[in-house]
Amino acid sequence: MSRILDDLRAAYARAWVRVKGNMRVKTWFLWEVVLPTIFMASVIYAYYNLDAPRIFIGFVVVGTMMMNFWFNVLWGMGNVLYWEKETGNLEVFLLSDRPIYMLLLGMALGGMLNTGIRSLAILLIGIFVFGAEFNTGGLMPATIVFLLTLAALYSLGLMFSSLHLVYGRKGIRINEILGDPISFLSGQYYPISVFPTVLQALASLLPLTIGLDGVRRALLLGQGLGDLYIHILGLGIMVMILLPLGIWVLNHMVEKGRRDGRLIMRWL
Amino acid sequence: METAIKTVDLVREFKTSRGVFRALDGVNLEIPSGMIYGLLGPNGAGKTTLIRILSTLLLPTSGDAYVGGYHVVREAQKVREIINLVSGGERPGYGILTTRENLIYYAMLYGYSRREAEERVEEVSRLIGLEDFMNKRLNELSTGMVQKYSLARGLLNNPRILFLDEPTLGLDVENARSIRKLIRRLVDDGYIETILLTSHYMYEVEELCDRIAIIHRGRIIEEGTVEELKERVSSHVIYELTLQRVDGDLDFLRELDSVIGYKVRLSDVPGEARLRIIMAYEDISRVIGLLEKKMYRVKRVVRDEISLEDVFLKLVGRGIDE
Repeated sequence: MSRILDDLRAAYARAWVRVKGNMRVKTWFLWEVVLPTIFMASVIYAYYNLDAPRIFIGFVVVGTMMMNFWFNVLWGMGNVLYWEKETGNLEVFLLSDRPIYMLLLGMALGGMLNTGIRSLAILLIGIFVFGAEFNTGGLMPATIVFLLTLAALYSLGLMFSSLHLVYGRKGIRINEILGDPISFLSGQYYPISVFPTVLQALASLLPLTIGLDGVRRALLLGQGLGDLYIHILGLGIMVMILLPLGIWVLNHMVEKGRRDGRLIMRWL
Repeated sequence: METAIKTVDLVREFKTSRGVFRALDGVNLEIPSGMIYGLLGPNGAGKTTLIRILSTLLLPTSGDAYVGGYHVVREAQKVREIINLVSGGERPGYGILTTRENLIYYAMLYGYSRREAEERVEEVSRLIGLEDFMNKRLNELSTGMVQKYSLARGLLNNPRILFLDEPTLGLDVENARSIRKLIRRLVDDGYIETILLTSHYMYEVEELCDRIAIIHRGRIIEEGTVEELKERVSSHVIYELTLQRVDGDLDFLRELDSVIGYKVRLSDVPGEARLRIIMAYEDISRVIGLLEKKMYRVKRVVRDEISLEDVFLKLVGRGIDE
């Protein structure tokens, strides 16, 4: 019990460092809120121009909010872990005998808070500037789907991080490979029903696609838990598989790093 | 006396593009507790590899190593509970955070609650003399202060055994002296039971360490106190010669059977060089004769006392930084 508490303290400590560090950069509001809103605004104006139904505004806002969390997984976990190694922080962490997934949990929680602030700002701008409308009755089911999506995404993040640990700078390429294609496949700004069937099937395997669809159904169409049980079940199964698998892969890669010396080598 | 660290036939190999490189080649060491133990060797001798294995960050290829009686592979968790590692020239931490915030973070990794971490950090900062720098951002600290900060970090978990990898690397004379005093005090005042320190600075090892092992090409080639090591070359003859100029190497000196090793360094006087030479027996007149034959003008000849540098010269045949 005491060991679990100590491990959680380590995760809390890493989250604290991340939030504190982020807030200390005086221009954080510009990077975190203003810039991400600009692209969203351009898509919304495109829909305005096409006289698209109003529901599309909310559709884009939800897409932008959730995509932030995916980019946080890619750039805020794997990439940061690589820098932790290069700066010697990872060595210090490993010396403390805390499991490495607690370091990543801390990074993820800190990142979630930062991303959460960004997403909240995007939501408020979406509502008050662009007039997005949401069904407040769908808030609870949307929250459940959203949390399950986060758990699945961060479990995937554990696996990607281990690749950064082993492949060093080449890991950045993995982020590029997984960034835009997943943003495209998961339907950030449009319903995936516009895709051919094969692409739709492929997209449905991604937790982000299921999560986006579930949250949109809840918040835009007012669907309840009963309507979303397939989304919840699918995401739940994904978490049950991806989380232990992510932890196993990460631990395996750390041991491999100890064996082949990559944990202590820099600038690979 | 209790053994703090023990290695048995320790081997570590690395795969490289040119084949297998053996960084440690059967290291056998037994380090008693209650002392500062120095691992002296040139760059690439295997010092850092050994420390990384002992601190469980790297697995050995073969052989065994024990720290505090625990096996570094089979009981790695127990080892981590009693050790810490500080590497010179590194700056782990987050530049945007203050020294205090960084240290609180590291303390919390060791299971301290936020309040306990704050208390522990204050305690350690007083011990190290960091109080005036606690509210400065890490990226604003000088190299010397960063090294003190790193030492403070290494003490947060109250380790029994502390590994210091080149602790004064890159520091100026004054800061290096201050760090050495601190290290000595940590053991003398009982804050740390045993320190294993690696260095390629002779004077640092000579000044700080109770016992020394000389490591060269992954092997321990000599071990003992500074006095014991000097005693082992006491029958040898040491001279320091001042030469007008040195261009090219002086390997022709090795033609003389008496010459065991030599080291050349630039003198403070421009254009002059100092040649330190170790001989198996008195043969300085032939050395001077050979130098002059090769057109080197010898300005001064002084017979010198044996230093740790001479022990290294005798064992390896060249200086530690050559």
